[in-house]
Amino acid sequence: MDLLKHLGFFAAVADARHFGNAAADLGMTQPPLSQGILRLERHLGVRLFDRDARGVRITAAGRRLLPSARELLDAADDLVVAARDLALPEQVRLGIAADLEDAVPGLLRAVGVDLVPKALANAGGAVVPTVAGSVELVDLLRDGLLDVAVVRHPGVLDGLTAGPVLVLPTRLEGVDVGAGVGLAEVRLPVAVPPRHHQPPAHDQLVDALRRAGHSGAVVEARDTAQRRALVAAGAAVGVVPTTVEQPGDPSCPPLRLRVAVPHAAQRRPEVDHDAVAAAIERALTSGPAR
Amino acid sequence: MTPVDTSAVVASLREVARDAGVTARVHATRLTGPPGTVALDDAEPVAVASLYKLPLALVWADLVAAGDLAADQPVRLPADSRMPGPTGVAMLLDDVSLTARDVVRLMLAVSDNACGDALLTLVGRARVHEHLAALGLPETLVRQGSAEETRAVLRDTGTGDWAAAQRALADPDRAAETSQYDPAFASAGTAAQVGQVLRLLWSRTGPAHDLVRDALAHQAWRHRVGSGFPHDDVTLLGKTGTLGRLRHEAAVVRFPHEHPVGVVVLTRAARPERHLPRVDAAIGELARLAVAPLRLPDDV
Repeated sequence: MDLLKHLGFFAAVADARHFGNAAADLGMTQPPLSQGILRLERHLGVRLFDRDARGVRITAAGRRLLPSARELLDAADDLVVAARDLALPEQVRLGIAADLEDAVPGLLRAVGVDLVPKALANAGGAVVPTVAGSVELVDLLRDGLLDVAVVRHPGVLDGLTAGPVLVLPTRLEGVDVGAGVGLAEVRLPVAVPPRHHQPPAHDQLVDALRRAGHSGAVVEARDTAQRRALVAAGAAVGVVPTTVEQPGDPSCPPLRLRVAVPHAAQRRPEVDHDAVAAAIERALTSGPAR
Repeated sequence: MTPVDTSAVVASLREVARDAGVTARVHATRLTGPPGTVALDDAEPVAVASLYKLPLALVWADLVAAGDLAADQPVRLPADSRMPGPTGVAMLLDDVSLTARDVVRLMLAVSDNACGDALLTLVGRARVHEHLAALGLPETLVRQGSAEETRAVLRDTGTGDWAAAQRALADPDRAAETSQYDPAFASAGTAAQVGQVLRLLWSRTGPAHDLVRDALAHQAWRHRVGSGFPHDDVTLLGKTGTLGRLRHEAAVVRFPHEHPVGVVVLTRAARPERHLPRVDAAIGELARLAVAPLRLPDDV
């Protein structure tokens, strides 16, 4: 039997607690779904659901098996995603440090425009982006799952080649900048990405905040939305890369980045790594981030 | 060596290194009693910076013990022939005369660069290399002295004095490099090889080697490996090595009534700044984690 397909039935019925609704979720009719569950129960030798006048209830055995079923389904999804990445050889698998926040779309547009006429003349889309913490991106690069990554500096880059340090100005977010408030006057903590994204860069930022007269207190926000929420709630301020509209604040520690690529021998020949790295460096250094 | 299952220890060493933002090579070894080691990437060659002074001291002591050199031989260190450095005779202004054994003491206790250079000249590079080879150690461990290291850093950073060179290496807005981070150009060895130097030093008896061990016990700082052993009754005999992002220490940790354990921690920080207390503390934590499974009462 197709075990994965039938485990999908199992999970759907467990979620919906109703054969009709589960069938609708799966885009099928109820009879083949019921038969599928029966087949799975026979195959496993375990009853997964109790069916009675009141409806469907998962059995104790079903509850025990459900987490393993979900793990298998998730792993299958991961495999399909990974295969999809590998099936697009000309596309650049580009890692982007989550710290770039609002500058990510502008960076991708600039890099895409820059690359299409050069390295990727025959490809449709130029770039498959992955936005994550820098430590994770470095691991992905080393494992050959990314081609190029722009990561926060400083960080450990053993086994990789990296370009120059790119220094992006930042500004305070969530305070009345017009009133001349600098970091030293800020009493709130600074909302920052999780330390584990790039521990040495995080520690360097905390030291720089203290050097500038701030307490160095930080709140680790798991993502941009959480950071924005903290700032909007008045619980923290942000130190974010500048946009065209708002110039950098010289009292704010800059965001430092480097573009990392594998050593020459470990690069995919389909990708012009140097051209991609140069495009990123141009996009990030040609004035304030968009 | 008795194989010990240290995979859990090695995993925690990796985690500490990642958290501190360093690449770490670790080798810990019991120096007496039943053999035992803990190792993390300890066969990777790295530039050892001032740790070259440790094998140099071992060679000197071996030659003194063999009667080839006199421990009280006078050594002149004229001011105009010394490369300025941060500690000891290297920071003095006038001519200095010492005995060879005091040169060794200053070289080890405060990592005096002028004394390191003077001792290398006194023993002679060829003789050092010959002796290291006879001990089964690589000549690269003492590829050069401190003055050559300093000159190379000044050249690589395009600076005229040591303070400017250090500022250049510590610039957070650049990824400053120097040939002296590279094991192919600097004095270099693996953590296991530096551990072997400790093992040899501890296997020797006699006044010359006692003198070397005593100098290591007088090391002026205890912020690296020592930070992992904040116990007044635990003796630490150590030698640090520092250059820019490189922070090393080779030390012997002696708990009362236990076999001494040698531990070598060689690190390269991602951050370029000169003062990184978190990294120094991580070196202590790495040492503590590596030494802990090797602790053994000395009546065993």
